[in-house]
Amino acid sequence: MSVFDRRYEMMPRAELEQLQLERLQALLVRVRRSVRRYRERLADIRVETLADVAQLPVTTPDDMVEAFPYGMFALPLREVIRLHSTMGPDGRPLVIGHTRNDLAQWGRLAARQFAAGGVTANDVIQVCLGEGLQRGTSGYELGAEQIQAPVIAEDPFHIDYQLAMLQNYRPTMLVTTPTNAIELVRMMEQRKIDPPSLNLRTVLLSRPVDDETRDQIRAGLLVAVKCNFGVDEVLNPGLCVECESGQFHVNEDHFLVETHSGELIVTTLGREAMPLLRYATRVSCEIVHEKCSCGRTGAILKPGPRLDRRLRVREMSVYEEQIAEVLNQMLPAERPFRIDVLERQVLISVQMTADIFTDTVWPIANLQREIESEVLARLGIDAEVRFRQTCPLTQP
Amino acid sequence: MLLQVKNLRSGYGSLEVVHGISLHVCAGEIVGLLGANGAGKSSLLKSIVGLLSPWRGEIYVNNRRTFGQPAWRGVSHSMVLVPEGRQVFGDMTVRENLLMGGFHNPDRKMTLDVVLERFPRLGERLGQMAGTLSGGEQQMLAFGRALMARPRLLLLDEPSMGLAPLMVKEVFNEILKMKDLGVTVLLVEQNAAATLKIADRAYVMETGDIIIEGLASDLLHNPEVKRAYLGKGYKEVWE
Repeated sequence: MSVFDRRYEMMPRAELEQLQLERLQALLVRVRRSVRRYRERLADIRVETLADVAQLPVTTPDDMVEAFPYGMFALPLREVIRLHSTMGPDGRPLVIGHTRNDLAQWGRLAARQFAAGGVTANDVIQVCLGEGLQRGTSGYELGAEQIQAPVIAEDPFHIDYQLAMLQNYRPTMLVTTPTNAIELVRMMEQRKIDPPSLNLRTVLLSRPVDDETRDQIRAGLLVAVKCNFGVDEVLNPGLCVECESGQFHVNEDHFLVETHSGELIVTTLGREAMPLLRYATRVSCEIVHEKCSCGRTGAILKPGPRLDRRLRVREMSVYEEQIAEVLNQMLPAERPFRIDVLERQVLISVQMTADIFTDTVWPIANLQREIESEVLARLGIDAEVRFRQTCPLTQP
Repeated sequence: MLLQVKNLRSGYGSLEVVHGISLHVCAGEIVGLLGANGAGKSSLLKSIVGLLSPWRGEIYVNNRRTFGQPAWRGVSHSMVLVPEGRQVFGDMTVRENLLMGGFHNPDRKMTLDVVLERFPRLGERLGQMAGTLSGGEQQMLAFGRALMARPRLLLLDEPSMGLAPLMVKEVFNEILKMKDLGVTVLLVEQNAAATLKIADRAYVMETGDIIIEGLASDLLHNPEVKRAYLGKGYKEVWE
């Protein structure tokens, strides 16, 4: 497997740490000058070693919500050429801006992951992440441009269409979600399609999966399986590279990572439009500094579960508060409810009370349907609503 | 790393003009140090070579600590400064200037032949007084004089200053050729566009601080570089 940016990915630690210190010091000068929130919090703090980063204030997702939309930007909007939105705490929106250089850097960082997966200019890449995950799609497309591999700029909305594209366009790499990959495996088994009849060599999954899922995809599609790990507010993809030994190496020339009470904290060292200083990612993580046989020198991340109440329903992120908001609008008064995430949908159990009870079935069935379609329309997830006499609350 | 600077502070009298700067240069690189007038670029360079006593920080040349050492010691660490405004010895001939550059080089006669091959125009004017050369020729002489010491790291302070545009182009071509000779270059310049075209990486300085480090190709399009030069009032536009 090849290394896209040998100089930075395999940079000796002493040089890498010097580079990080330089970029961190420059970042502090920039944010102190251009972002009011940082100027107020940083005061006269200066960092002279990388360990001094612990003195700097932490940026939380709530800070980003408060600064919505452009309060965290370090450059005026006219310098920003791309705006992405992502989901903040409780489903509130966040805006991520990119300058021209930010996009170029994003492409190079995503290309590192492609190169580690063996992609060259001779490959064809299909990016199929489904609705609502378009941010990642941009990064992968920019990365493919850097590798100069053709990328299929179309996201099939149905698995049948996707299979047809795999058969017709003959991509060699598929970037997709674990759910979609598993569905593809099942469908090919059902239709008795021989995996080698597709040209796929590698599948890059949008998030880390357990070994069992990885093996299932590997065996079902007869491909090499790589995973991505990223944080949307920081960069996704592009935060790290999964090497041939299956380790997530942080792109430490662009990100300074640390953990605080088991939570991954990231400082963006190179981002121009919206630099983040010690961003608390709400993802649990372990950081290991050890030599890897692949030769990359970036620290190894071992990501764990999320630390907030974000749920994942068929690769869509959702917060309980978002579902509560829909329920509160659809029902006469706030009432206890419970959420269970199933494989394909979310089961919402709502307590039945006298004000919505009727002795005929259809008004209740109608209300259920209305809530289900509203959840689908607003949050993009399939839901099943059930009214129950008593309803134990969801444990946070 | 051929040159490593960490948290360097220096200034004049009680006035600090370099506020804790870190930078590094790897072997074989051309690294640009950009900034407007008064940003502290030349002071930083002088502090690195020892012409200005640094106050605090660390400086390593070829992994040897050189912080606080006198400027002449730098030459024995294979580090040579080509100062701003050329500073050739005007009352000495071109040949004498060149030999002066290689004062501690035992093979200076041999090196002289190499330098003259590189700058043939100097060969034509060996007996001429350096002060009578044109600005561009004086710059070539300053380069030649520096190369006489067989440096590994060359620090160039504003080599294009006061030169005609055509000559500037030639000077930058010569700097690019230094790389082929295996000489590493830290280039301090105000001419950002020209520097970023030949450099591998660059740092941008503003009022004594480095505000950005990056690949030269990225910095060509960086709004901060424009701002550092033009001083546009970007502050708090969206706040």
